[in-house]
Amino acid sequence: MRSDALLAQVFMRSLYPLLLLASLWILLRGHNAPGGGFIAGLLAVAASAAYALVFDVASSRRRLPLAPVSLAASGVLLALLSGLPALLGGLPFLTHLWGTLTFGPVELPVSTGMLFDLGVYLCVWGVFGGYCLALLRSIEEIP
Amino acid sequence: MNYESCDNRRGEVLGRLLPALIPAALLTLLLAALAIEPLPWRLSWTWIPSLGVDLSLYVDGLSAQFLLLIVGIGTMVFVYGSAYLAENSRRNRVFGLLVLFMAAMIGAVVSDHLLVLFVFWELTSLLSFLLIGIDHEQEEGRRSALQALLVTGSGGLCLLAGIILLGQIGGSYSLQTLIERAPLFLEDVRLNAALALIFVGAFSKSAQFPFHFWLPNAMAAPTPVSAYLHSATMVKLGIYLLARLDAAFSELLFWEYSLVSIGTVTAVLAAIQTVRERDLKRILAWSTVATLGTLTMLVGLPGNGAALAVAALFFAHALYKAPLFFVAGNLDHGTGTRAIDKLTGMRRYMPWTAAIALLAALSMAGLPLTFGFIAKGAIALAKEQAEALLLVSYAAVLVNGVSVAVAAIAAIHVFWGRDRSPLQAGLHPHEAPLAMLLPPLLLVILGLLFGLAPTMIDPLLGAAAHAMAPGFDQTMVTLSYDFLAVLEAMAGALVLGGVILLGWRRLGLLMDRFRHLEIVGPEAWYWRSLVLLPRLAARQTRLLQHGQLPRYVMTLVSVATLLVLALLLVARPGWAWPELHSLTAPVAGAALLIAAGALVAMFVRDRLVLLLVSGLVGYGSAVLFLFTGAPDLAFTQFAVETVFVVVVAAVLLRLRRTPLALGAVPTAARLRPLALAVATAFGASLTALVLLVAGLPFDNSLAVFFSEQSVPAAHGRNVVNLILVDFRAVDTLGEIAVLFFALLAVLPLFKRFGGGA
Repeated sequence: MRSDALLAQVFMRSLYPLLLLASLWILLRGHNAPGGGFIAGLLAVAASAAYALVFDVASSRRRLPLAPVSLAASGVLLALLSGLPALLGGLPFLTHLWGTLTFGPVELPVSTGMLFDLGVYLCVWGVFGGYCLALLRSIEEIP
Repeated sequence: MNYESCDNRRGEVLGRLLPALIPAALLTLLLAALAIEPLPWRLSWTWIPSLGVDLSLYVDGLSAQFLLLIVGIGTMVFVYGSAYLAENSRRNRVFGLLVLFMAAMIGAVVSDHLLVLFVFWELTSLLSFLLIGIDHEQEEGRRSALQALLVTGSGGLCLLAGIILLGQIGGSYSLQTLIERAPLFLEDVRLNAALALIFVGAFSKSAQFPFHFWLPNAMAAPTPVSAYLHSATMVKLGIYLLARLDAAFSELLFWEYSLVSIGTVTAVLAAIQTVRERDLKRILAWSTVATLGTLTMLVGLPGNGAALAVAALFFAHALYKAPLFFVAGNLDHGTGTRAIDKLTGMRRYMPWTAAIALLAALSMAGLPLTFGFIAKGAIALAKEQAEALLLVSYAAVLVNGVSVAVAAIAAIHVFWGRDRSPLQAGLHPHEAPLAMLLPPLLLVILGLLFGLAPTMIDPLLGAAAHAMAPGFDQTMVTLSYDFLAVLEAMAGALVLGGVILLGWRRLGLLMDRFRHLEIVGPEAWYWRSLVLLPRLAARQTRLLQHGQLPRYVMTLVSVATLLVLALLLVARPGWAWPELHSLTAPVAGAALLIAAGALVAMFVRDRLVLLLVSGLVGYGSAVLFLFTGAPDLAFTQFAVETVFVVVVAAVLLRLRRTPLALGAVPTAARLRPLALAVATAFGASLTALVLLVAGLPFDNSLAVFFSEQSVPAAHGRNVVNLILVDFRAVDTLGEIAVLFFALLAVLPLFKRFGGGA
């Protein structure tokens, strides 16, 4: 871990979770307002890249929920799975289904489309995060 | 030997016989079905409706005949193999592949859809490759397997092209539909090209000239495999397809001339090559090639008699050639050699094998009272009906003579030859076990039975002939041929065969003198192309993949420019100056940002500055999107641009400390004037394209559709996101899958530099 950027490190430590929270918020609002899986995923990539620059690649990788390849693969898999429930109902693959979850007074609309978008988000994070981390890792050896 | 071990032995033998239950069960089923249900059988269900591919099965006389051969000979091969391969460590793999092969063959001969047939066809090629190369530690096995795969595989590609062309011409891929509609498109000029391509596929599969050379080399496979794939079934698949199409195209002169000439050339060449061989199995292989040539010639001959002759020869050949292969296998098994120079007087050691060889040879030589004789009669009649060329008849005399000689070698020379003691040759011959005697014995007895009472097999042959020549309803019994003429021809063949047999060694030596002619033969070209192709590929790769990034970019941009210009030329638009909207301040600002970034980039040498300046172009575009109603796009652009600039800047800063980064790349400097020209042309052509598109009337039906449907159909208001997630979700799924695979492809590149994720 580098020690020549103390201020940036302190700042980054609190910024990183905030950036991820923001990316989740953009992911969920994408349905009705600008946002969605692609953009949110890119924001998460920005968070990972910034973390890797301020600390190092290894610490940034530890902060990922999974290794980049697995993250991307799980995204594709999730998007794929989100299309399956429709098949059970005899509808074409990837026809999204809607429902409402009720917690006491709160009613939350949910759909398989949200799972699909989450899959896109994870895939973008994994793929572009993987590119950035691999690129940054390749220059870490240079003194 | 005590009871228990005896019991174990018996259990082992029975256990090895288990795989044979599969073909045996299928054979029983097939015979029962043939007895109950009249031909043809049809069965059809939709498979891939979007491609118009139906899984439709059609079984008529021709298919039924093939089915019988596939499962019938298959049963014999499995029983025989249970003993022949008993000591072979790859036994299980051989049987597994053989079962798969049988399934593929069945699929090929029952499918009515040409593309489905093609898939099974290719499967058989692949399985043949695996079976020839089963002994993959042997160099010869590997080379022969690869040769068979390359020859039949490239032929298969031609076949696919031919099938698609034929499907385009005929408007259907169903064989039966094509045969029905054939009179409508016989005049089509593209038909000859389609047929030529199909010929290449069928000829390579059925070892016709100039693709014949792979078959004798395929004898590297274990004997049961050779008997099954490379004599009885797979190599006849090409002829099966030709016979199927014969009903449609027999009236074309191109069809008749191609098949008759190629078939005859193949038969004659193979007959000549036979005499050069001293290995019994290779002798049988060449004589199989000769028979395949005769079959091709017969398919090409016009007239109904030819159809019946094809059906009869199919059957006769399977009934005598498979047992002869088994005999060769028994000799190999019992003595360890297949060289005819060493094998003589074997009857004392292998009496049962000798009897089988004799009976099979009688049929192969076409002597009266055998099924081979019936086939010979049918062939003679076919030629008479078709008024075949004299040359074809002369060729047939030679081919018959050689086949008599081959029969004599296999039966008389090997078993009854001059009684040199085999022990002197270092052989310790012993008779084969029961499981290796029963299958060939059964086949030769069937051959004799059908020869004595042809009426038994008549309905099936008639049905097969009917499939090749619709409107033909005669059978062998009602055919009358000139019995005396056939006997005369037979006498001629016997005499010629005797001469060839006596002079076998001398003829072989004589022909070896012309060995240098081989360098112009097709097999030499095969080997030559195997050397030349990688060289050509290497040269082409060096030319195109030079590894210089500036040149790659230049190539890409130049090609894109040419495409846009071609588009503009082809479209020949009526130029209309687009209606200009009043310029708003943000849009003007964005345009200035982009222009400034691009202009400065031209004069900057430092890479880091260049990166930042090109970032300006990206940010300018993002601002433009933001104020022209595409906030999602703007967000994405901002995010991509930021991450890209920051990460690459970090890399560049670090690279500056290494000697790598010093100085500009020399090629880049030399390319500058050219690069300027290409960039100017690209910019100009794109500007023209944009002006043109902006001048066209705008069709907003999609925009209207999505804004109307977004809430009722997808429960949301962000149309861009809904298109990605809902309306066109399958596209998005494909895209993220591509992203994922790109990551898998990129990571190893970084690994080279000590990176990797």
